[in-house]
Amino acid sequence: MTDHRHERPTPDDVLADALRDAAPDRFTVGFTGRVTERLARERTTVGNGATLDFTAALERHFVRIVPLLAAASLILAIYSWWGGRSTADSLLDATLHLPQVSIATAYTPEALFGEDGGGN
Amino acid sequence: MNDIIPDDELIARARAGDDRAFALLVERYESVVAATVIGMVGPGEDADDVGQETFIRFHRALHDFRGESSVKTYLVHIAMNLSLNALKRRRRSLLRFVHGEESVTEIPEHRPGPDDRLESRETRERVRRAVMQLPEHHRAVVVLRMFNGYSTREVAGILGVAEGTVMSRLSRAMKELQRTLS
Repeated sequence: MTDHRHERPTPDDVLADALRDAAPDRFTVGFTGRVTERLARERTTVGNGATLDFTAALERHFVRIVPLLAAASLILAIYSWWGGRSTADSLLDATLHLPQVSIATAYTPEALFGEDGGGN
Repeated sequence: MNDIIPDDELIARARAGDDRAFALLVERYESVVAATVIGMVGPGEDADDVGQETFIRFHRALHDFRGESSVKTYLVHIAMNLSLNALKRRRRSLLRFVHGEESVTEIPEHRPGPDDRLESRETRERVRRAVMQLPEHHRAVVVLRMFNGYSTREVAGILGVAEGTVMSRLSRAMKELQRTLS
């Protein structure tokens, strides 16, 4: 006589089976058609499919360029800060290389009319 | 016929602009994407949109697809990310319109498909609803592990978490499901 006690599924087995059985296996009818229509629509919106490729290429290049731009900005900021660190009032002034301007210096004849006094 | 043509060939043809080849890929992988997307966001228009978007993204990425992962895993990866984004958007828009006593956890009604045999439909529906009530991270593990049949390691790879995390989330999710369904 066979002992069936060990063949009884555990609650976890039953649940696992129920889950596998409950897995959705399709979208509503006509899904493939909707996908291909949408693809075609995207192509015609942008013209001959070139835009899709262009957009994808733009995305790819943007992702590559962003770190380079960030690195370049950082280097520029450090360079500016290094050059202006002794004269600038604050870290921000030094980093952005802002000239020190006061009311007095802003209204000097040189500032208003240029070095030669004629404003040129 | 569809199953005879290997993925590589269909991908090469789709890259060359053959939409029929791409349609065959959609038909081939609809079930995997449906299991992921409907499992995560529930049935309805949202799921259909996310499903379509999954394949559109795949189409855009065809030129970059090098076959390092299988088409199935690649698609499931996209589908899972898009589903999680859709859930975030849904949460935000629900929060915008929610007024105190109204419930936020409304699950879209399931529209029966041709696969739904009467005798098992209710059980499936109950199980799906129970899965939908799980927290998102737990649901993602259940969907990938139980609906899609991925191993713990593969689930960890797709979700970008440790295998131990997958196991603990699955264990908690299964307990919660046992409790809900019993």
